[in-house]
This record gives sequence, C-alpha cells and structure tokens, in this order.
Amino acid sequence: MIRHAFAEGWLLLRQRGAIPAVLAFALAVPVALAGVGVTVIRWLGPVADLESRGATVAVLLHPRLDEGARRAWLAARAAAQPAWSMTEVSAPELAARLGRWFPYLEALVDDGDASLPALIEITTAEPESVAVLELDSDVLAIGPRSSVESLLGRAARRLAWAVAAVSVVLLAAAVLLTAVWVHLELFRHADELTIMRLVGATEGTVRGPFLVAVALPAAAAGGLAMLGTTLAVGAFARIVASLGLPALAVPTTVLAAECAAALGLPVAAALLTLARHAADEIGS
Amino acid sequence: MIRLRSVSKEYDQRAILRGLDLHVEAGEFVFLTGPSGAGKTTLLRLLYAAEKPTEGEVWVAGRRVDELHRRRLPLLRRKIGVIFQDFKLLRRKTVLENITFVLRIHGVPPREAQRRAGQVLKRLGLQHRQGALPDTLSGGEQQRVAIARALAYQPRLILADEPTGNLDADLASELLSLLCDINYQGATVVVATHDHTVLESIPARTVVLHQGQISYDGTWPP
Repeated sequence: MIRHAFAEGWLLLRQRGAIPAVLAFALAVPVALAGVGVTVIRWLGPVADLESRGATVAVLLHPRLDEGARRAWLAARAAAQPAWSMTEVSAPELAARLGRWFPYLEALVDDGDASLPALIEITTAEPESVAVLELDSDVLAIGPRSSVESLLGRAARRLAWAVAAVSVVLLAAAVLLTAVWVHLELFRHADELTIMRLVGATEGTVRGPFLVAVALPAAAAGGLAMLGTTLAVGAFARIVASLGLPALAVPTTVLAAECAAALGLPVAAALLTLARHAADEIGS
Repeated sequence: MIRLRSVSKEYDQRAILRGLDLHVEAGEFVFLTGPSGAGKTTLLRLLYAAEKPTEGEVWVAGRRVDELHRRRLPLLRRKIGVIFQDFKLLRRKTVLENITFVLRIHGVPPREAQRRAGQVLKRLGLQHRQGALPDTLSGGEQQRVAIARALAYQPRLILADEPTGNLDADLASELLSLLCDINYQGATVVVATHDHTVLESIPARTVVLHQGQISYDGTWPP
C-alpha cells in the first residue's frame, strides 16, 4: 500500500500544481527566518550582553578613603540600596585593565597601584539609580550608566523576540494552510474515501496519499529553508568578516531543526485533520 | 453467518426496522424482498457496518458488528463482498484498477491481482472494457464491474443490493447463476431485490420485509 500511497499522493500534487508550491514556499520562509534569527542571536551571544537583565556601572571612590573607610562605605550603600550588587575591583586588576585599554598610561600604571583610586562595579536592573552617588563626596567619578554590550544585548533580545513572533505567526499560517488544504482535498474525495472504507481499506491506506501529498512539499520546504538560511547567513558572514568581527556560520543543529520543523509541523497538521475526518466519517 | 437479535433502526424518530430477528446459516442463499422503503437496504447496511442499529445486536461471521471497534471494521468488510445499488466505483480508476485495488487491499500480490481481475472481468464479459473509466460505461456495465469487484476476492459472505436492477434479462440470469455458483462453492449470499422474476428464478429462502418487520420467511412463492 506504500506504492499506492505514493502514486495517489503524487497524483494529488499534480492535480493541484500551484498549491503544493505555495505551501512549500509558505513553510520555507518562516522556517528560514527563524533559522537565520537563531544563528545570528547565537553568534551575538558572546559579543552582546544577552543574558543580563541589568547594567554594570563603574564608580571611582576618592583615593583618600582607606580600606576601612571603603568597607564602611560599601556596607552603608548595601543597606541603602539592596537591589545593587557591588563588587570592588582590586588594585592589580584595575591596573591590568587600564594597561590593556590605555597603553599610553603604562607609565602611570607601572608607577605602582597605590596611586589608583578604588573602583566599585555596581550591577543593577536600574542603572539610573546610581545617579544618587553624584552627591556623595566620597565618590570621585561615575561611569556611563549603560554599556555598549548591554545596549547591544537589549537590541538583540528585542530582535530575537520580533523574529520569533514573525516566524511563529507565519509558520502557524502555513500549518493552517496545510490543514485547510487537506480538509478541502478530503471533501473533494469524500465519495472515493467512503468507497475505499466500505471495501475494507484500512485508515492507513485511506490516509496515505494525503500524507504523501503533504510530506513531499514539506520536505521541499525543509530543503528550501536550509538553502535560504545558508545563503542569508553566508551574505551576513561576508559583511561581518569585512568588519573584522568573529566568523559566522550556520550550526548543523539549526539546519536539522529547520528540516524537522518544516517536515514535522505540516505532517502533524495533516494527521490531525485526517484523524478528525475519519472520526466524522465513521461516526456518521 | 448472520444473526440479528431484536434489531431496530430509526432515522429522525422514524422506525425503518422494528425488532427484527433473523438467522442465516453459513452457505445459505437468501433473498430479501419487500416494497420500497421496507428496510432492505438499511438491513444490508447494518450487516456491513455502514450503520449502527438503534437497538439490538447484529452478528456477522461470529463478530458483533454493532460493537466492533472502527479499527476492526476493515477486517470485517474484507470478509464481505458488497454489490451496491449505486455501484460505488472509484471514478478515477479504470475498471481493472477498481478490481485490483480491492485485491491489493486484501494482500494479493500485484501480478496475481491483475490475473484474478482479468479472470473475473472475462467471466462477466467486461475484458474489452478493462481500461475504461467507470463514467464512460453504461449502467449495466457499471453494475457488472461492481459485481466483479465484490466477487474478485472470493468473500465468505456476499451482500447484493438490487444487483439486477440495471441488467437486461440475459445478464440478470447470468448474474444469478454466477451467485449460485459462488453459493455452491460455500459462500453465503444475501440478495435484496423487489423483482419477483428474480425470486422465481431460484428456489431459495426468501425473507419478506414489510414496514420494518419480517412478514414471511420461507420458499418463494409463499
């Protein structure tokens, strides 16, 4: 009966030439979009601050504060601002950072750590709240209240949500289109299916051609989605490479997931529609 | 082979069959007759599980059909050859494919299916029409294809609903002798007809339905 399913399924596709092509395209676009989105977000992960829900603000304390005074200052601030997470950057670490970021300050750094002010890093969901320290006489300077990383992370998160939402909506529409198409085909072939059941055909024999008619364009959609993702990411990777940023490639898992989604979702929709139809047919 | 116990069937609160009791032994040839609307077709539909009774039990080939799980229906229907009043041919398949399709469902290999379909078509005088689509055939030819399909896999039970309705006298007689042959080989045959000449052509048990009840059960004429 597998041969029968393929022969009849192929006949269905040939009879409705444009619909399977539209179906394949409608499935491929959101799947490819999601694949490109996931690939780019995964690539952005190490660059942008994707996970953090807040920002880290650097605060320089006045050099006149000795260690005891610094501890007292930190304890007072921790009590006043429980939402802040404060970390004191050690003098050698600060010297190393300065040496890395500003090589021309090497002389100052090499002069010894004692001359460096204490650096406190405050991580908070509301970086604007650090502004209260502007009035604190023990504070020498306050750094930018939002970092490039966190800005990039926020933008990437919003982009990820937007891509996910668009993909889900388009994919849901494509799956719905599949279900409606199968439903219409069942309606068109209702007499034939009744006869098949009456002469003893199993549900597998009855449903097989419809599953094949959905699975073939769905498999084509999977191939199209993988091709689309590879081409789009390849174009983006060339731009990224020209900017000297880390290399970008489509992970194999993303391609496999695309194929599974393009094939699995419409076939599942077709199976549900066919099962509902069979229940109606036999119950009537 | 067939046992009906207090079977009733209603459509929209209109009784078609009323407390019917019927027992058909394996290998019997039974005519089911009665005026239009007496419930002949409904009774046959109950037997091949296209309908469920409103009340009562329907047993076919040792299985209670009215309680059969839908997954089991194909297995039951493969034991029954049904000749439908409206033929029920697959319109997109040729005459030969209509028959080989059923044989393939029954697990007959493709070559053997072709051979057996060819044989039965030859027997019914349709071998020259085997490549034709059902819609291009006359009513009588479609009737014979439907008969060929029901006979091709040699079922244990044959249910025929007005099988001679579209046939001329010669073909009707040929069909009845074919059904007799099959019955002689051991199959149970139930023929629903309102044609008295058909009833008179074979001295078989005749069940007369009237207003959904059995009004006579015996040899014809009463």
